[in-house]
Amino acid sequence: MFKISLGNRESSACDGISRRHSLRMGACGLIGGLTLPRLLELHAKAALPASPKAKSCIFLFLEGGPPHQDMWDPKPEAPLEIRGPFKPIQTKIPGTYVTNQLPLCAGLADKYTIVRSHSHRDNGHSTGYHYVMTGRKPTFADGDNPVPNNVFYPSIGSIVSRERGSRGELPAYINLPHPMAGGGPGFYGAEHAPFVIEADPTQPDFEVKDLRPGKQLSQKRLSLRKKLLTGIDEMERARNSGQAKVMSTYYEKAFNLIASTDAKKAFDIHSESDSTRDAYGRTQIGQCSLLARRLVEGGCRFVGVDAPGWDVHFNCFPSLQTDLIPYADRAFSALVSDLDQRNMLDETLVIMMGEMGRTPRVNAKAGRDHWSMAQTIIFAGGGIKPGQVIGATDKHAAAPSTEPIGVNDLLYTISTLMGIDPEKTYLGPLGRPVPIVNGGKMIRGLV
Amino acid sequence: MNHFCPRNLLAFLAIVTLGFDVPCIAVELRISPPSILLDSPEASQQVLVTKASSKNLSNDLSRVVRYEVIPPGIASVDESGLLRPRSDGTGKLVVHYQGQRTSIPVEVRSLKSPRPVSFRNEIIPILTKARCNSGGCHGKAEGQNGFKLSIFGFDPISDHQSLVMESHGRRVSITNPENSILFRKGSARTPHGGGQKINPGSYRDQRLLRWIAEGAQFELEDEKSDRIVRIEIEPKDQTLLAGQTQQLRVTAINASGKQQCVTTESEYESNAGPIAEVNSSGLIQASDIPGEAAILVRYLGHVTVCRITLPQPKVQFERPPENNFIDRLVWDKLERLGIEPSELTDDASFLRRVFLDTIGTLPTTAEARLFINDNATDKREKIINHLLNRDEYVDYSTMRWLDILRADQLKISPQGTVAMQRWLQKHFIENRPFDQFARELLTVQGNTSAEGPGSFYKILNKPDIAARSISQLLLGVRIECAQCHHHPSERWSQADYVGLAGFFTGLRLKKLPNGEQALVSLGGKDLPHPRSGELVSARALGSEAARFTNVADRRRVLADWMTSDENPFFSKAITNRLWSHYFGRGLVEPIDDMRATNPATNEPLMQALADHLRKLRYDIKAFTRTLLNSRVYQLSSATKESNKSDIQNFSHATYKTLPAEVLLDAICQSTGVVEKYNGWPKGYRAIQIWDNRMPSYFFRIFGRPVRASVCECERSNQPSISQAMHLMNSPEIAAKISHRHGTVQRLALSLSPSEIIDELYLGTLSRFPIEKEKILMLQAFEELKDNRRSASEDVLWALMNSKEFVFNH
Repeated sequence: MFKISLGNRESSACDGISRRHSLRMGACGLIGGLTLPRLLELHAKAALPASPKAKSCIFLFLEGGPPHQDMWDPKPEAPLEIRGPFKPIQTKIPGTYVTNQLPLCAGLADKYTIVRSHSHRDNGHSTGYHYVMTGRKPTFADGDNPVPNNVFYPSIGSIVSRERGSRGELPAYINLPHPMAGGGPGFYGAEHAPFVIEADPTQPDFEVKDLRPGKQLSQKRLSLRKKLLTGIDEMERARNSGQAKVMSTYYEKAFNLIASTDAKKAFDIHSESDSTRDAYGRTQIGQCSLLARRLVEGGCRFVGVDAPGWDVHFNCFPSLQTDLIPYADRAFSALVSDLDQRNMLDETLVIMMGEMGRTPRVNAKAGRDHWSMAQTIIFAGGGIKPGQVIGATDKHAAAPSTEPIGVNDLLYTISTLMGIDPEKTYLGPLGRPVPIVNGGKMIRGLV
Repeated sequence: MNHFCPRNLLAFLAIVTLGFDVPCIAVELRISPPSILLDSPEASQQVLVTKASSKNLSNDLSRVVRYEVIPPGIASVDESGLLRPRSDGTGKLVVHYQGQRTSIPVEVRSLKSPRPVSFRNEIIPILTKARCNSGGCHGKAEGQNGFKLSIFGFDPISDHQSLVMESHGRRVSITNPENSILFRKGSARTPHGGGQKINPGSYRDQRLLRWIAEGAQFELEDEKSDRIVRIEIEPKDQTLLAGQTQQLRVTAINASGKQQCVTTESEYESNAGPIAEVNSSGLIQASDIPGEAAILVRYLGHVTVCRITLPQPKVQFERPPENNFIDRLVWDKLERLGIEPSELTDDASFLRRVFLDTIGTLPTTAEARLFINDNATDKREKIINHLLNRDEYVDYSTMRWLDILRADQLKISPQGTVAMQRWLQKHFIENRPFDQFARELLTVQGNTSAEGPGSFYKILNKPDIAARSISQLLLGVRIECAQCHHHPSERWSQADYVGLAGFFTGLRLKKLPNGEQALVSLGGKDLPHPRSGELVSARALGSEAARFTNVADRRRVLADWMTSDENPFFSKAITNRLWSHYFGRGLVEPIDDMRATNPATNEPLMQALADHLRKLRYDIKAFTRTLLNSRVYQLSSATKESNKSDIQNFSHATYKTLPAEVLLDAICQSTGVVEKYNGWPKGYRAIQIWDNRMPSYFFRIFGRPVRASVCECERSNQPSISQAMHLMNSPEIAAKISHRHGTVQRLALSLSPSEIIDELYLGTLSRFPIEKEKILMLQAFEELKDNRRSASEDVLWALMNSKEFVFNH
């Protein structure tokens, strides 16, 4: 019907499904028995914060799989084909190193915590995305499902939407600039689906899809239309007291959104100063991060930013060095500093991660392939204790050398920080109780 | 007055109804059970005291009367009528009510040397009641903190093993019972992650301790041949008034007839919380919303249901006329509930409703005008017949069945989808009987790209997946739960699950030389029970082992069973599916979850419809005609005072969301601008397109199903903000409204404002505007004097965004 060009969405390095499949199969043999027996799990409850601080969450999703060793988990002692060309630099926290591709974040290391021991076993893009967003292993093959691909299990954004609702006129759960592959509401239904911006905030004519009526309509006609529609609906309501009212809730919400000056203001990225916009970077991830901050100010609970392009199978270092890492470095550091300066960091949980990490060894085509066994997650704000490094990987950044942190630990932690009981259950369509989070526990030491 | 009364006779309704004349009794009391025996230290007996009053209403006085045990030393009784033993002896329970005294005998014995506690019969219920073995705790597949129980205690042997054998006797320490982890943690004497589940000192606590101290026996010798075979509840069916309560009494009955009260140990669940809630002691609380609720009672895998009816008081109405048996049975129900049905809907809204429901298409302005102006008395009947013969009836039915049959072109290939679409189309064109449809679906063989439903089995590629999908689809029975455990609210076990899967074990997909696939079904084998490993003979649900003599394709035996007149599920399943489509809600909800514990909201109607369909030899069109010609189908969606909160008794029409495809077609028809679908010839309508993967923002936000399951629940019917915004503001729809070859341009060129408004109303809402609406809409033409086209656009925009357009009502 229409198509909006969204930056480098199509320019990902992966050459399609067949290659992904072969890589996935190739990697299977490498997967060892890493998960500690459940017997050893410590009780999560002990680690719960006294009172949840996070009111909102900004989830920056580096789709495709960011290379942890080229960013947050440098291995300078490893051979060249493992460590890659980037050099480690010390961050603001003595003894904590990241690669020299993250200079801005390095200077801000007292504001966030690096979790290096995230690990899971799903090596596909759409399947890994599903897993990270829902905590449930998908039942479809990689690359095989429409967006959103989580048709049954709700995503963490939908969970937050259902449990916390919006704090203002804005929808509780928003995706930008396009829908997140695993970000759907599952059996929670359309009510908890993300509101999707469907437009690129880097564009000069950026506007949220369908938020404003066509420009050709005069103010006179707009108010006329509103008068006509209100009139018809009122007459219908008079005829039919009960049902029409229930059904019209969403239309009223939409009306409110369209009419709301707060909402319009939140979406109006053009009202930011040039210097602020430059600080975040005039990139998709930069402007989406800035918009995310505005949406959180407007009452949104969960902003999921889908930042694609990280599937760097071929000749990865030039693109990592010029486009990917610097953009993320700038966006994340600007977002965290901005929230901090506005005294919003404490109540805004910021997370940056992808669906997987990348292979320890640089491949024959100078790229890195899929590697879900080790990944780094960055946490800031929302009541976490910043300035730490939690967990570690082995000498090749191939697997956690400390207790691995699983997807459900991540979701358990987000829920808990947001004041949501992760063990609460809802009945699924089959009548089976489905807990919000599928097991998991608090990431130890994070709060 | 009391001393004149023969007190003992008062006690039993049985006696009273036998004809004893007791004129002095002011209130007729009924006490059950007629006598009480408490024979273990933790035994209990729930007593029900009921006042029989007029009109089948019954008042539960169990929490109103005063109880007294004489002598008080033998047993205690609380305010709710629950007796507990104190010491051996005999006596009586006296019930005091408004100056009357009634009593029943009580015996307490064996407290000093009770029968040992049996794990299977008495401990499993404790673990279930305390929710130790629930899916959120130790009952989940991986257990909790290394301690795993079978969910709902369906596997007592392994539960006994994990308690008594595992963890070096720490969970259950026979030598030092009070140190047993089971005893200490459940009661939180030792910190327990799950919290305190059993109160220290309670009867459950004491029973656990006694069981351990007695040696933690699995079951008693005499129980092996005398198991609990069923539970009985009282009352089974009860009418309550708003705010009233009703205590349940649950009795477990052994094969030998031995009875014991298990009211405190049973689990309770209401299927309609807003109508009646139930607490863990079996006390039902009626709300003020009239309707019916089924209270599920479960004990040791036995389930039964208490049906609660909540009528609206003081509602008098004249019974509307009846077009057919549907009306009679619905009015019966509504009379019983005190709910007045809505009026017959007017011709225009009937027309719009029946068009959208049967052919997924709006009436055109010409069709609407013709129908409204037609004076024939049988015009509704005629239009129903007409619609069922339209091509769009075939298109729309086919689309819905492609959803249900999971025709996902990515999974079953475009060829497979087209093959299925053609097969469905042929079925609906020829109106082949539904039992034949089911038989073809069940027994298809050959090339999956050839016209037929063969590609369905590309998704159902394992015997058990085929079995459970077919069961849900054609029988409305969900056996998925039984894959892993005994269905918690049904009788299906894991053996039933693999038994049904045994019909599909002969299925193979073979590659053909041209790269296509052929479905072959030859032979087959029985499957092992997932726990015991023993082979389970293929058998249909609730049937004996199937016999396959001289049958090459096992599925044929299943098809015979399914479509036989005796099958208890088949006709009801399709009846409910069709009913739900036309009435917006199934008689059973969810529509494919039929079981004794989830009864239809109108059982006599369900039975009558299922019989009717069978009598019609599964002629779907004839059956649909019966549905549509009923007055119930033709009721208005405008509610009355007494039916506005009714959601399940069909006292008025409901607002139904339009499926994404139907809505888009309606927008195209109203604006007079067709949608061009990528790769499809111009003129194709959304309901004709088989390609479920065709990218479309409209379809995505309006919830076109991804066809990932055989559940109709996949089609989202919840409105969202994005939908409303898209209809109001999207450039795509704006372009249709203002299109230079569209409806608006055509009308604005030739008609007067008043005529334009009439046409736009007919084209969108299938009716003429009422006077107030006409006046409102004319304002557009006054305000935009210079531009009739803009005014028309604004009127059309407003109409297409009205609730009346977006919903089918």
